[in-house]
Amino acid sequence: MNITISQNGTEEFVALEGRLDTLTAPDLEKELNPLDGVGSLCIDCKDLEYISSAGLRVLLSLQKTMNKQGTMTLLNVRQEVMEVFELTGFTDILSFA
Amino acid sequence: MIGKLRYSIVFRILSGIVVLLVLLSVFIGTIGYQGFTSALLDQYADGAFRTAESAAELVNADHIPRFIESGGKSSEYQAAYFSMDRLCNSQGVTFIYVIQPDLTDYGHITFIFSTINHDSHYSLYDFGFVRATTNDDYRVKYRRLYEEGSERELVIRDQGYIQTDPHITAMVPLKGADGRTKAILCVQRQMDVLDAARRQYIRNLFLSLGAVVLMTILVYGAYIYRSLLFPIQTITGEAERFADESIPSGNKLTDMILNRDEIGTLAGSVDRMEEQICSYMENLTRITAEKERIAAELDVARKIQAGMLPQLFPPFPDKTCIDLYATMHPAREVGGDFYDFFLVDDDHLALVIADVSGKGIPGALFMMISDILIRSEVKPGITPATALTRVNERIYKNNRAEMFVTVWLGILELSTGKLQASNAGHEYPVIKRAGGSYELFKEVHGLVLGALDDMVYKDYELKLEKGDSIFVYTDGVTEATDADNRLFGTGRLLDSLNRDKDVTVKGVLDEVLAGIRDFVKNAPQFDDITMMCLYYKGTDENENG
Repeated sequence: MNITISQNGTEEFVALEGRLDTLTAPDLEKELNPLDGVGSLCIDCKDLEYISSAGLRVLLSLQKTMNKQGTMTLLNVRQEVMEVFELTGFTDILSFA
Repeated sequence: MIGKLRYSIVFRILSGIVVLLVLLSVFIGTIGYQGFTSALLDQYADGAFRTAESAAELVNADHIPRFIESGGKSSEYQAAYFSMDRLCNSQGVTFIYVIQPDLTDYGHITFIFSTINHDSHYSLYDFGFVRATTNDDYRVKYRRLYEEGSERELVIRDQGYIQTDPHITAMVPLKGADGRTKAILCVQRQMDVLDAARRQYIRNLFLSLGAVVLMTILVYGAYIYRSLLFPIQTITGEAERFADESIPSGNKLTDMILNRDEIGTLAGSVDRMEEQICSYMENLTRITAEKERIAAELDVARKIQAGMLPQLFPPFPDKTCIDLYATMHPAREVGGDFYDFFLVDDDHLALVIADVSGKGIPGALFMMISDILIRSEVKPGITPATALTRVNERIYKNNRAEMFVTVWLGILELSTGKLQASNAGHEYPVIKRAGGSYELFKEVHGLVLGALDDMVYKDYELKLEKGDSIFVYTDGVTEATDADNRLFGTGRLLDSLNRDKDVTVKGVLDEVLAGIRDFVKNAPQFDDITMMCLYYKGTDENENG
């Protein structure tokens, strides 16, 4: 899993590449926390191939944090990852663009 | 062991040195021998030539024809002969003789004078005696003395096959008043003295060489033993002891070995290594004990978890309208998946399949809580959606680890086949109508349980007819991964389900598991694999209730 983070003022942009699973989800959590002062979090999922429940947990946690201080948007989600979001009901709580 | 070491190190060092010394001695000895021989030979030849020159003065070359005429009887010849004989005996040479070779090919010589040292065991050639020239060496030298104006020639005979003892022959020409060579005067000197000196030289050489080698072995050997063999032997002994016993020794090697060289460093390293290995082993023992304790605890946890899941099939032998079977294969000792089924009342069977967002101990703990909460909220008259809504509230309230659980909950009315269900973020159920194939049933999905507060879940209803089946599973099935990171997927799941349409509910699960195993091959299992299948036989048959 490759995680690329770039920041522009209060906007944070994260590109994910590979598999977000039990092994890699803790890395994403560590890389992104704390989200102090971030008003807008964009996660590019163009190269995200797979997401497991551990990955969903990290996204949920990020979403909860961002609910308090701004917005979180997922970009370019692939079909197979989108199916997981639909299956787990995450489409109801995440924002996509 | 000491003998072995002695052979392998000291023996090798010493034998190397001995070989070197011998080679060096032979080299120096050869050079010395050659220098010695050549110097001695020069001196020897000089003496012979001096004698030859003295003897040459005794003979007037121009008078030689007269000597021949008189047959060696003239008084002048006798006087010269007498003087020559005296010279021969006073100068320590063997022969002094005068010859005339035949001048065509120098193949024969005629003796004019021939005197001999009286101590020698040789005999004289008579006056006028003719014999063949001994060899080509002489012949060449005779020619030089006669034709090329040479003033002296030397023949050395100390090698190869010779009839006499090793000797040299110094030759000078006897020239007439016209400056032409009339005869050759030869002085033969035995090389016995030279030979003896050479033998003495070689004997001394080898005696001193032997002494040096012996001294070297004694002195150097003792030194090597003290500075090399003893420390190495000590270190080796300690290393072998440690390898066998694996306990630290009382005395450090560095206290016994005071070398300040590489051996000293080695001794220090062995000391340190022993200390480190000992502390490493202590750690390992502790960690192993710890691991064993954890493994034992996990084993108990596994039994507790397994005890949570109903495992007696058929579960309700008196409910003949259904066949039900379920399995769970955790990826680790304990898992985060679970299935459950229980009678809500006499006519209602609750079916639960769930997947916790975590594995191992945390997953297992969360699974236990979830299962207990679901069991406590599913009551007669409560729909699955209401039960899930309440469970969500209760999980969310104390969810410090921010975990969540996906749940499919269905309540089947046994008498009618009416199935009311609700899905909190779980995989779609798979339904087979009597005579048809298994197909995904894409119903409305709610969010996983425990994620957010105030979620409201929805119910949906479908009716199972006689011969229908429903199969529910966790993502461990569809996300089973092969070595190339490909997922098993719903396509392969449906293929496995539909492979044999007449198989029992247990057979269905076996087919799917076989399909997964066949697909992933040797790739390790990452997620728990949990499945449940229900076959509805309907109520035509006689049943209680």
